[in-house]
Amino acid sequence: MEIPVIFLGGQYNHLIVRALKEIGVSSRLVLPQAAMDAVKGANGLIMGGGPYSVNDGLARFGALPEIVESAGFPILGICLSHQLIGKILGGEVVKGRRPEYGRTVIRVIDEDDILAGVGSEFVAWASHNDEVVRTGRERFTVLAESEFCGVEALRAEGREVYGVQFHPEVAETPVGKQILKNFAGICKS
Amino acid sequence: MGVCKISDPGAVEAFDPARFTEEKVAEIRRFVGDGKAAIATSGGVDSTVCAALAHRALGERLVCFFLDTGFMREGEVEEVKGILTSLGLPLRILAVSDRFMAALKGKSDAEAKRIAFRETFYTVLGEAAKAEGCDVLIQGTIAPDWIETAGGIKTQHNVLEQLGVDTKTSFGFRLLEPLLELYKDQVRRLAVHLGVRLDASQRQPFPGPGLMVRCIGEVTEEKMEVLRKATAVVEGELSRLDPPPKQYFAAVTEDDRREADSRMARSAVGPNGRAWYLGARVTGVKGDERAYGRMVVVEPGDQADPADLLGIVERVIHEDWGVVRVLLAVEGRGGEKGGYAVIVRAVETRDFMTVKPTPVPRAALKRIASRVMEDPRVGLVCYDITSKPPATVEFE
Repeated sequence: MEIPVIFLGGQYNHLIVRALKEIGVSSRLVLPQAAMDAVKGANGLIMGGGPYSVNDGLARFGALPEIVESAGFPILGICLSHQLIGKILGGEVVKGRRPEYGRTVIRVIDEDDILAGVGSEFVAWASHNDEVVRTGRERFTVLAESEFCGVEALRAEGREVYGVQFHPEVAETPVGKQILKNFAGICKS
Repeated sequence: MGVCKISDPGAVEAFDPARFTEEKVAEIRRFVGDGKAAIATSGGVDSTVCAALAHRALGERLVCFFLDTGFMREGEVEEVKGILTSLGLPLRILAVSDRFMAALKGKSDAEAKRIAFRETFYTVLGEAAKAEGCDVLIQGTIAPDWIETAGGIKTQHNVLEQLGVDTKTSFGFRLLEPLLELYKDQVRRLAVHLGVRLDASQRQPFPGPGLMVRCIGEVTEEKMEVLRKATAVVEGELSRLDPPPKQYFAAVTEDDRREADSRMARSAVGPNGRAWYLGARVTGVKGDERAYGRMVVVEPGDQADPADLLGIVERVIHEDWGVVRVLLAVEGRGGEKGGYAVIVRAVETRDFMTVKPTPVPRAALKRIASRVMEDPRVGLVCYDITSKPPATVEFE
């Protein structure tokens, strides 16, 4: 079982690798330019956060937009990568009116497979200036929201491509391991 | 990108200190060859563990330097000397505080201070290492150090190669960083395996630039003196909590508070609450980006819920995005502004990548404040209630 993690420069990217290893999944950090090679033979892909806005151009994401659009394997995007997925699937990414830094209460709308077993409401840590908003043309379902952010988790219509705005990989998100386990389960099946 | 050297992320896989030690000892021997290596240790967990590991690999071919930068705490030089000699490490102490004070004169910007510290640190160390015939420098950089530097959050003093600094031409040595993949909790387990004395391995983190990053703004002798005294009080009081916070310390800045508009106070801490801005700027991290912004001091009204610390922080930042830290007023000299504000910081965390403020009992904070304010130069004592993000643990 292998799930590579795309390194996009975020503080917690390496913690995703650590968390995966702790649940028995082998993993390593991969630069976006090497994503195409890394996904060969992998069971799925996680993409980390980073200090940019998807509205400043997609060049630094390498082949990721293409992978998000058409991949046949499961993908989980975290924070910046959640925004990348949201944008590619027809949502809009805007500066949050009430950006969230630190503790955030997440309300589950539809647990799907990715949020199974985490309860209807949970505490997670987030750190983002931008957020995904719906446009009416989006090709994703909203799975969770918070008081200040309408799209805390999403799933692509008909595909196992997920995004979470908060950080399941940090110690301060108690259900984070469960979410990563759920994703590993999706990758295995 | 090329800023990160992630040679073996496998090191975190079900971390096994014995296997890690074996692999790293071999790697250090290969890298150093027949030569000699230097290591700079601060007495903190990372560098002490790294020195013990390198000593196991190189024996007498390792020379251990301790730079007395002038930014150490009361009694610290003696304490570190004790820890390192108990490990049997050959130790050289370099008393170089004058060179650091000269390099920092007139600098109040956090990044400018950190860069001046780093340049001075490696210049001094390079000279001393060369004099001992060492051409390799080993250092205990760990994962959060390069992650923060690569992300542009702060210039960690010990991160060079990841930034593209060629150490051989700039400072005259080759660099080896055996702990690069580890987090703090894993370093502590390695410490136990290597027999590093428990009080050293359990010591809370202390930044390489020491008290410099807690002396917010320009460093002066007087400000450092106030900070050193406050640090001793805060460490003494908070080490008695059971369990003690994961990290706890004091910081100092000018007490130049000015009242914030009433809307800020009302929405953050209720109708009878008050809020002030401090003039200094401090480091934070928002949405993976470095933030350098203001601190707001709040005094909750009687209707505010004192347990809802993170709620207060959230509301202050929603009022003003430029704020990176929120402080709870503990004690202030009524009305008059005094010379300095002392800030108490205490945090809970697993790995220091995210932290939350320790719920320190009010009585303990009051006791700290009354002792710190015995120094008439201190006009305000506050408690930092900000999580990471949006603040960092340290102030600069």
